[in-house]
Amino acid sequence: MRIGVLWNKLADPKNIPRLFAFSLGIILIVGLIVPMALNPDQLYPRPAPQEQIDEGLAIAPYDRGGEVLVSPGEIDPQYPDNAASLGMITGYMSPLAQWISSISPYFGTSIYSSPGGLIDEILYYTRGFDTILESSILMMSFIIASWLSINYTMNRKNDEEEIKKDFKKAITDSTHVANEVKANDAKARSKQLRRDN
Amino acid sequence: MDFVTLGGNLLGTIPLGDIVLYLTPFNLFLFAVLLGFTALIAISKPETQVEASKFNTLGVAEVKVDEKEFKQRRFLSVICGIASAGAMITGDLFNFTLFMALVGILNIGIVSAVKQTSVLNSAFNYGLIAMMCSLPLFGGAAIILAATGTLSLAVLSQMPASPMVVFGAILMLIGILGESGVAPFFASKAEMFRTPGSPFIVIIHLSSLFIIVRAVEILLLVLW
Repeated sequence: MRIGVLWNKLADPKNIPRLFAFSLGIILIVGLIVPMALNPDQLYPRPAPQEQIDEGLAIAPYDRGGEVLVSPGEIDPQYPDNAASLGMITGYMSPLAQWISSISPYFGTSIYSSPGGLIDEILYYTRGFDTILESSILMMSFIIASWLSINYTMNRKNDEEEIKKDFKKAITDSTHVANEVKANDAKARSKQLRRDN
Repeated sequence: MDFVTLGGNLLGTIPLGDIVLYLTPFNLFLFAVLLGFTALIAISKPETQVEASKFNTLGVAEVKVDEKEFKQRRFLSVICGIASAGAMITGDLFNFTLFMALVGILNIGIVSAVKQTSVLNSAFNYGLIAMMCSLPLFGGAAIILAATGTLSLAVLSQMPASPMVVFGAILMLIGILGESGVAPFFASKAEMFRTPGSPFIVIIHLSSLFIIVRAVEILLLVLW
């Protein structure tokens, strides 16, 4: 294939997502041979998988310790100076959550749990700006989607070009019908004429 | 590479918890230029495109931006300008990818208000790319986090790069290439510009341009 043909194919917007997906796939496949290991020295450390389950803690795997407003739980931020009272509410659980965790060993893994503020503290205290951005991405997509659904830009009903095309089509159709009627008329008349003679 | 070598002296930081925005002359300049341009967009009127589309006649067709469309596009362009200005001074890797995703969806939004089918088609194709880009962008940031244990650019710039960090940076790079529509992924984004309403269209171009510059700085900080 000549290179000019290739460049022409690249100029078609329809081919671009395919090309992008293909190159992304190649890089991901190359990634399989890159040596990967988790650095144990992480921000917001978490216990090893299954460790808390084996210990039999009620809110495994989310137990970070700490006593509400007394002693901070174990959260390790990048800049502790910017979050002075971090971890103070990490152990908080509502009375309902306390009751469920007392009767069930699976409280920590269930979707309704989120015991206390431990997820919230990382999200809203240390990384609050990220949360703002995430929700603004969502808000912008809702704005765009609602504008599209109200104004329906793909609607071609009132498009002038489209109306002109439809008009032309209607005219040809009606002339077609008129011609057919005329032809039938002539045929019938000649038939009648033949019968009369 | 260090901040000081790339952007000049550190003039100050804006601490927001773990996300610390940092101000160097380089970043401040990019930030100020984008904000100034956004202010110009907020007060300007869109241009009208003249198309010589009719054959055999001397008449020309004017493509205008009606008022409702104009308001929507102006709003989205101003937000787009602010988002790309934020990406210029952020000091957190994940924060940068979030700004990037915001700019991507706003780019689609600015042209989605147009009523030309060809433009909408290419915007749809660009939207597919932007959707795919969230995988390399956030995946790359996650891999860098797993390899180094931090997301702060100030800390990352002091760390040596391992093969895993390089892979994460390459993933992020392809995400940035797709999202800002540079070669060879330009066609869908270039087709989006073929529509009236110039200042709003130009912010699409300008935001991806600035983000490329900033991405080069971030990749240098992470890799060197």
